[in-house]
Amino acid sequence: MSTIEISALTKTYGGGRPALADATFRYEGSGAIGYLGPNGAGKTTTLKLLTGLLRPTHGSARINGFDVHRERKAALADVGAIIESPEPYPSQTVAQAVEMVSDFRRGRSRNIGKEIAALHDRLELPPLDARTGRLSKGQRQRVVIAASLVRDPRIIILDEPTSGLDPKERILVRNLLNDLKKDHLILMSSHLMQEVTEICDQVIFINQGQILLRDTVDNVANRFRTRAVDVEFATPMLLDRIRAIGPMVEDAVVVGERRFRISFDGSSSARSGILEALVRLGPVLTYQSASLALEDAYLALMQGNNGADPALATPPAAR
Amino acid sequence: MAADPAGVPSDTVQFGMAFRHQVRFYLRTMRFLALLVIVLLATVGFVAATIYYHVGGVDAGGYLGGFLGLFTIFGLIIGAFLGGDAIAMDFGSPTGYYTLVLPVRRATLLLGRYAAAFAASFVLILVYFVVAVSGAVYFHGVLGTPWVEVGESLGLASLYALGVLSVAFLFSSFFRSPATSMISTVLVLFFGLDIATGIAAFAGVDPWFSILWAGDAISEVFPSRVRLAGGGAVPTVPEGIAIMLVYAVLFLIVSAVLYQYKESKG
Repeated sequence: MSTIEISALTKTYGGGRPALADATFRYEGSGAIGYLGPNGAGKTTTLKLLTGLLRPTHGSARINGFDVHRERKAALADVGAIIESPEPYPSQTVAQAVEMVSDFRRGRSRNIGKEIAALHDRLELPPLDARTGRLSKGQRQRVVIAASLVRDPRIIILDEPTSGLDPKERILVRNLLNDLKKDHLILMSSHLMQEVTEICDQVIFINQGQILLRDTVDNVANRFRTRAVDVEFATPMLLDRIRAIGPMVEDAVVVGERRFRISFDGSSSARSGILEALVRLGPVLTYQSASLALEDAYLALMQGNNGADPALATPPAAR
Repeated sequence: MAADPAGVPSDTVQFGMAFRHQVRFYLRTMRFLALLVIVLLATVGFVAATIYYHVGGVDAGGYLGGFLGLFTIFGLIIGAFLGGDAIAMDFGSPTGYYTLVLPVRRATLLLGRYAAAFAASFVLILVYFVVAVSGAVYFHGVLGTPWVEVGESLGLASLYALGVLSVAFLFSSFFRSPATSMISTVLVLFFGLDIATGIAAFAGVDPWFSILWAGDAISEVFPSRVRLAGGGAVPTVPEGIAIMLVYAVLFLIVSAVLYQYKESKG
């Protein structure tokens, strides 16, 4: 079974504040874990420590039970990783760049041509004989993603994998990751809450080198309920009629033609009650959260407000 | 050393892969071809000049001694350009994030690249020697050419190339920029050691610390070599071998240690 584990992992550059302080977590099996935090929070430092690009000041990083720094080759044997913005040698063709990774990961293979062709189709790679140095950023990123997946490593570590991709490419990668997570263990950092919401089952929030919260996406969504919904009517509607719905509505403002944002206490009962009342007022086209639950959680955690449950700030599992 | 994990090629196989990919890298970047052109132009030009001016030396040994005595400079340039970015390329460009996350020991990568750099250097050395020997044969015939000494000189030139490559790898492990690493190798070996050799001569000490001085052994195997007027003491062949060996082994080990502990902080 695939495992990713860090234990009291700390990294200090020079003598300053630790970029990562005493971080601990363990994941096993399959699924996707989102790693969220602002720039400089310690996300990339963690991923670099997990792939042997950095040495820990203290603590340990283990993959499949092997210490990344003492047993590097064994630890990375079943890992595909994209850290920062890797680039193949510019003089390599797309096929050569992917084949090089394949060679080092599992040795020469007679079927490598077929596998590269399959990745080419799946990720819509540029022509296999194109020099990687002449590709666009998005094309190169897809080649790097293909290289991270070649020969099917069971653990995938990704540092903002959709960075530099256009919306169509992001959808392509999102669908791929959603497919892979069924039987792979994926740890991915991202700034994009939408992306994490759509791909990940679990989430880790980190800021200033400290892990603030670890939980499933569903639990986080429940605990950091959004306190505003957007409603759109099919016909014109008066703001006063919405405000007059009752005490469930704390406030309402106009946000567009026939569109309103309604503030409430965040509870499910108020949310459904408001919807019932709105439907009685007129034909409702859309009714949705004004923001993502993860976004609300992110903002609350980064501002030092950990939401409704104070115990979430330092979960025992993250120590 | 821990056993190789299941499915991952052995260190020996990965060494071969690192070697092959580095050779391809040299060929694709035209670096090797550029050096080949430089060596060909210089050596063919030298032979053409000696033929034009009828300066074939008193015997083949003298001719070859003078010709091969210039190899130290070429060897330095070859070593700097083939080894100067071997490690720096992993830390001064995003390609490091592509290779260093693979399940391969850094020592394996380094040795594969070192072997590739030496193989490429050896081809250039062979070209240099073939042209030099062609000139000697032109002037003094096949029978007049000291083939045993030519073989010894080729071996010494190869050892010299290994020493220079190790220095280049050392600088490559210090710096993040491949260009800085290459330039530093040339500056230190060419000017730095030259200055230090001058100071040593002033103090009356043989510059045993200099691989450039040790490189004189390449032509020293020819007893009748012509020495430039004012030239200082030259090393004996054993002295040259010892110095070049120390350079090759010591600096390669140091660069391997630095590579092992170097971090991708950028």
